[in-house]
Amino acid sequence: MNSLLDRPVSTASVALTLRRGAARVLIDNWTGTSTVPSRTLYPHQWSWDSAFIAIGLRHLSARRAQQELESLLAGQWADGRIPHIVFNPALPHDAYFPSPDFWQSSRSGRTAGAPATPETSGIVQPPVHALAAWLTHQADPRESRRRRFLSRAYPRLAAWHDYLLTRRDLGGAGLAAVVHPWEPGMDNSPCWDRALHRVQPAAPEAFRRADLNHGHPADRPTDLDYARYVRLATDYREAGYDDRALRHGFAMEDPCFNALLIVSEHALAAMAHELGIDGASHTARAEELTGHLVARLWDDEAGLFRARDLTTDTLVDERSVTGLVPLVVPGLPHDIVRRLQDTLDGPHFSAPATRLIPSYDLTGHAFDAQRYWRGPAWFNTAWLIHRGLRTHGLHSDAERLQQGFLAEAGRSEFAEYVDPTTGAARGARHFSWTAALALDLLSADPKEPQP
Amino acid sequence: MLKTAVQEQLLPGDTLQAKWDFAQAAGYDAIELRGKGDLHFASRLDELKQAAKDGVVMPTVCVDMLHFFGAFDTSLRADAIAQMKSQLTVIAEIGGLGAQTPASYGMFSRRLPPFEPPRSEEEDREILLAGLTELGEHARREGVTLFLEPLNRYEDHMVNRLEQAADLIRRTGLDSVKIGIDSYHMNIEESDPAAAILAHADLIGHAQVSDSNRLQPGAGHLDWPAWLAALHTIGYDGYLAAECRLAGDPLEAVRSIPAFLQRSGA
Repeated sequence: MNSLLDRPVSTASVALTLRRGAARVLIDNWTGTSTVPSRTLYPHQWSWDSAFIAIGLRHLSARRAQQELESLLAGQWADGRIPHIVFNPALPHDAYFPSPDFWQSSRSGRTAGAPATPETSGIVQPPVHALAAWLTHQADPRESRRRRFLSRAYPRLAAWHDYLLTRRDLGGAGLAAVVHPWEPGMDNSPCWDRALHRVQPAAPEAFRRADLNHGHPADRPTDLDYARYVRLATDYREAGYDDRALRHGFAMEDPCFNALLIVSEHALAAMAHELGIDGASHTARAEELTGHLVARLWDDEAGLFRARDLTTDTLVDERSVTGLVPLVVPGLPHDIVRRLQDTLDGPHFSAPATRLIPSYDLTGHAFDAQRYWRGPAWFNTAWLIHRGLRTHGLHSDAERLQQGFLAEAGRSEFAEYVDPTTGAARGARHFSWTAALALDLLSADPKEPQP
Repeated sequence: MLKTAVQEQLLPGDTLQAKWDFAQAAGYDAIELRGKGDLHFASRLDELKQAAKDGVVMPTVCVDMLHFFGAFDTSLRADAIAQMKSQLTVIAEIGGLGAQTPASYGMFSRRLPPFEPPRSEEEDREILLAGLTELGEHARREGVTLFLEPLNRYEDHMVNRLEQAADLIRRTGLDSVKIGIDSYHMNIEESDPAAAILAHADLIGHAQVSDSNRLQPGAGHLDWPAWLAALHTIGYDGYLAAECRLAGDPLEAVRSIPAFLQRSGA
């Protein structure tokens, strides 16, 4: 019996086991209209999670992937913003903090156009949705046309981008700004530290964290940082979530956020073409955005993109994975692609124990191998960089990253993130986007046309 | 790719061999037999043996009677058990996997007048457990499996969902009794059919397919990719047996099923 077990397992059976495991996570985490990121830690619908989830779910059920995005879009505000959380009304309000009672979207956000129902948060997350919608359409165009998926999703996604490029062009230079560290999705990245320290923390009694009920404190943001997050969100809420009324205490142009906006503009162009609408404005916008991204955020000396702090109008002197994600932009100048490839292979991001990319500079002063976005390697950023490598024809690098991704996803039981120095699983297990993106890498046609 | 089967009455041809030719050309891997009462199925033994010898693949039989092992009437119940035992013996004799039956069909519905059945839930349960145990033990002796099929609420009042079938089967303690799932009934009864498949993975032994409207797969609005992905996820390696009505040209409809299921992720 031992000899049987000792035999090398075939690649095909490893892939099958991984595929089954990923599908199980997505079926288990499906709620009927959308997918929770994790049954233990995140009980509602999260914006960029849903987009990444749809990208994998489309291989399991194109209809569910469409519903995933539609359910998120049902929480869209009249001003175009897609909120970062759409709350499940069936759950008690204290199931997660900040809860619907904290955001008060239907009341405080009424003027800005928040829906009467469902309750949502008032901030946003990176705009990966149009890319997800286009990939979902491509997975089963017949089902998509039957359900008129694109014709319903397209105007909403276009309104979302309009919001970002008008209300959120806080720097006036053509890029979208984020106004809370949760908006770029990399909540406690050291990139935000300096700007965040300018923020007066909320009083400890003003909030009760729910993320520590199931998450380990060492893996999560600190209490003081959390108090500052609460302050920023409270100020935004009290301004009625009106971007024009409030002088934001935190405003950043984030490379990953804007890169995803560019990729999603290309996806809108493809959707417009499919719907028989002229998509030239989306292509033009994507090209303009690419120019702004390079002009405002590229650091040629460091060989990666930096976040720009709009309060001081300076580039943030930290190396983060957010600065590598723009590799996913199709029209990036060739020399920048080459520099990004070098940076990926260099000492700041080449992790010894995993082929995934750490979220923050391995040699950086604030590196912490376990704490959320201050070092751990995440699967969504790896998927985006994999897509970027493929986009730019760097196929052997892409293949190596894909193998690393799949190995880590399986070994970690689809963890939320992993320690880049040891490869140990961290955060939630059976995390939906990890499973979804693994399923995508196992299933997607490598020749799938880029939008 | 999951294997597909089609019930014999849906196929053209006077003999099983002729039906098999059509089935194979359409892309099926097997034929599901139908077992009528009065020991009719046993009377076909020579025909079935010859067909098996000629290469016809016939892994399963689905009961085709109007009374079942959960009948209210004692003598009908006894007859149903005798018929099912015979069908299990015959399917074993031709090298098949097992026989499928519901607890009852068309006998009573709690959703239609007079709403209250003449027998209590406790009595139903005792009778079902006794019948399943007797049939399961017989199946085990024959080296085959009895597949218990949950039906929708309008067709049976006792076993509608996978969890009810699973509960009864676990109580028998027999591994010769499994659930025979049916996509059409699951669509009506399960809040999430894919999740139900995962929840009862260890007990699913057979699968019948028809769409939301009982027509051939593809003619309704079931989320087939999700349902089939769930079967792949649990490592199901049995058949998808088409038991359905047919819309449009019947032969075209039968022909369309394997390709449709394959396109949907089977």
